[in-house]
Amino acid sequence: MQIQMNEFLFSMILTEIEDAVGVENCSTRTIDKVTHSVDYYWLSRMWADRGCRMPEADIVVCPKDATEVSKLLKIANYYKLPVTTWGAGGGTQGGAIPVCGGIILDTKRMNQIYEVNTEGMYIECGTGAIYKHIEWAANEVGKATMHYPSSLTCSTVGGFLAHRGIGVCSTKYGKIDDMVLQMEVVLPNGDIINTASAPKHAAGPDLNQIFIGSEGTLGVITKAQIRIFDQPEERRFRGFLFQDMHGAFQASRELLQKFKPSVMRLYDEAETSSLIKKIVGVERKGAFMNIAIEGCKEMVEVEEKILLSTFAKYGAEDLGSEYGEKWWKEKITFFYPGHMMDIPQMFGTMDTIAPYNKIEEIYWAMKEAIETNFPQAKFIAHFSHWYEWGAMVYDRFIVEGKDVPEDPVEALRLHQAIWTCGVRAALAHGGVVNDHHGVGIKLGRLMKEQYGPAMQVFEGLKKQLDPNGIMNPFKLGL
Amino acid sequence: MIMSEKCKQHVDSCRFCWMCHHICPVGNATGQERNTARARALGISLVNREAIDLSEIMDNIYECCTCGACVHDCVTGWDPVMFTKETRLQAALEDKLPPYINKLLDNCLETGNAYGETKLCDRLKAAIDNHSAKTDTLFYIGVDARYMACEQALKAIKVMEKSGAVFTVLADEPASGGQLDFLIGAANETRDQMAACAKVLDEYKTVVVYDPADSKTIKQLYKEYGIETAAKVMTYTAYLADAVESGKLSAAKSEKTVSVQDPYQLARDLEETEELRKIVSAFAEVKELHLNRAETVWAGNVLMAQYMPEIIDLVAKRRIFNATSLDIKTIVTACVGEYIALKSVAQSDVEILSLEDLIVG
Repeated sequence: MQIQMNEFLFSMILTEIEDAVGVENCSTRTIDKVTHSVDYYWLSRMWADRGCRMPEADIVVCPKDATEVSKLLKIANYYKLPVTTWGAGGGTQGGAIPVCGGIILDTKRMNQIYEVNTEGMYIECGTGAIYKHIEWAANEVGKATMHYPSSLTCSTVGGFLAHRGIGVCSTKYGKIDDMVLQMEVVLPNGDIINTASAPKHAAGPDLNQIFIGSEGTLGVITKAQIRIFDQPEERRFRGFLFQDMHGAFQASRELLQKFKPSVMRLYDEAETSSLIKKIVGVERKGAFMNIAIEGCKEMVEVEEKILLSTFAKYGAEDLGSEYGEKWWKEKITFFYPGHMMDIPQMFGTMDTIAPYNKIEEIYWAMKEAIETNFPQAKFIAHFSHWYEWGAMVYDRFIVEGKDVPEDPVEALRLHQAIWTCGVRAALAHGGVVNDHHGVGIKLGRLMKEQYGPAMQVFEGLKKQLDPNGIMNPFKLGL
Repeated sequence: MIMSEKCKQHVDSCRFCWMCHHICPVGNATGQERNTARARALGISLVNREAIDLSEIMDNIYECCTCGACVHDCVTGWDPVMFTKETRLQAALEDKLPPYINKLLDNCLETGNAYGETKLCDRLKAAIDNHSAKTDTLFYIGVDARYMACEQALKAIKVMEKSGAVFTVLADEPASGGQLDFLIGAANETRDQMAACAKVLDEYKTVVVYDPADSKTIKQLYKEYGIETAAKVMTYTAYLADAVESGKLSAAKSEKTVSVQDPYQLARDLEETEELRKIVSAFAEVKELHLNRAETVWAGNVLMAQYMPEIIDLVAKRRIFNATSLDIKTIVTACVGEYIALKSVAQSDVEILSLEDLIVG
């Protein structure tokens, strides 16, 4: 039964929610609703820039733990109210926007750091903790999380888990999905569950990996044990300039068969001559690549020798350590207003990932698709997450000036069209919908194109766990 | 809403930037998304675009403590404090201030302090009377200590005496204008109050300012408002650090280990951090808090506790949590507002001392 909301019923539901989590933790104030209606997604920003109000929740609720989340979800299920989970709002895919109204479940009161365990090498925390705060907690005992995305200061632990985030040291330390030991999850029916006590086992499919990346569509992750690492004894940087991208791919693939650096970032010529020139100061033509090696000093010595000899084979010019160190220092500067693309520009990051035998082809195919179909768009890219088997391309389009429609609906249509074109080109050449920003409302329509009949696995999980479809509706293509 | 072009530019840059999300002492304490620089900027930008009314964001605008942690954190140099204060001014001009702010404002204009207090406690009055004679040095106490923390004001006078200083304390000390600047920004009333205060300060060769909030106002904001003071203005901590260095202020160093809570006005606005350490380390061992010096985390004040006491409690509790997670047992404050906020929520596992408590017990 679809309920007809009215003032009386709404007031009744509100008192019930207030009873569950406390009056002071529920809000219907305009400022709270507006604040939770715009995330980092370009369309939500553009919409607000044009003076339009994005879809807003009816109630913003801040539970303090799994028990309160459980109570809230039971109420939401009874009244069939949509529930959209919000971490810190730093997502780029519109995953946290309450497109159907209902309840925003803001997790930031669940920010407790329960335990810093230097024997088990993990921090147990509420998923509303800002990641930088758990990094500080790790640093206080001489450890580090090694999860350093540009959004380190503005995203929660739960936010990174929800969309499978990644940091700049991923090649050595892994993605967020590699950094979790155990999680506590509240299912849509209010049941509180725990995943297995260790992340590697033979006790059936991995429950962690069912909920990581589910973007709040299958439940709410309320607690997690996040891995910590020893601080490296030594971290060294080395910048290189490749005259062709192909050589860079060959060199990197060979290097990764020998050892794993922490940072590996290759910028195409367009991005080298724009962002890298501006922030790091590389004035030369070519494709800039930055490598960081870290760990025990003796290992670093050996690995640096291997790096130099391997890259020399492929014609890489050694630029020394200066640019790499500058890049490390400024790695987050790229994302501050004044350095980063911003409204009134239209832009998007269509990151995808594939094995080495496909990734170059994907890069050229996406570049051609965007530049041919949307000549008003500039295309730049870098490759920032590398594995023994392949790499990720972080390709961006930028439309500027009069080419960005003033009318918000027209702007939305152009933005959607560019995205569809770019991601379809990636899919057609063996890529995936996204590498580490997630799907959200932005790419949900393309999930079925990627997965085909495999989508029924996700749909089956959704139907079983969330039969009323209240959890983050229309995200992830579910 | 009428807003300067400069502020509009800062608003439109911050509204879609999340980079300082981790640093706001209020946001970290409340866990509320609205307590972020980007949320305030978004709200203001929507008011500027007539999508929401100014009155709908004013409570949130007054939840900002203007500590400048976000400004300090921003690598581009955007200034959320600037547009927050300009929005307060505009709300005052448009008669859209929340009632609880109007009350504080009226008090400031009528009595010189937001609390509406006019009577000093008897002991403080007596101590001030002992220093009523005109000298070259004025010890400026400020409204928080005079009216809300009599004991601390008395001890501060004792510390000054212990340092051998010959100084004057005014019975009718003029308001610095700091509270008005916080409440309504650069209004004519703020400027007038500052100018009147500067005129009194000019009668002295040296002014030692007890409260860091007043130090910031007199040493930094007066310049921004175009108000000049001929007197040499020193922070209380800088004055005491000199006294320690010259041997005028000394004591047997205890075996106590303490941490210092840097007032943001000193550490960020006036770039004064080592003076406090110089004083404290003369009396005890210093163990640093996480996020210290210019990265300090504001721990509360008296003015905001008048209208959001629960939030100030949360802010203070969080700072204490920062300390106890490092096994810190004692925090020394140099700001009476932070002292009151921390002291009111501290449990038995942590001791809160003012600088005066440390020096004269």
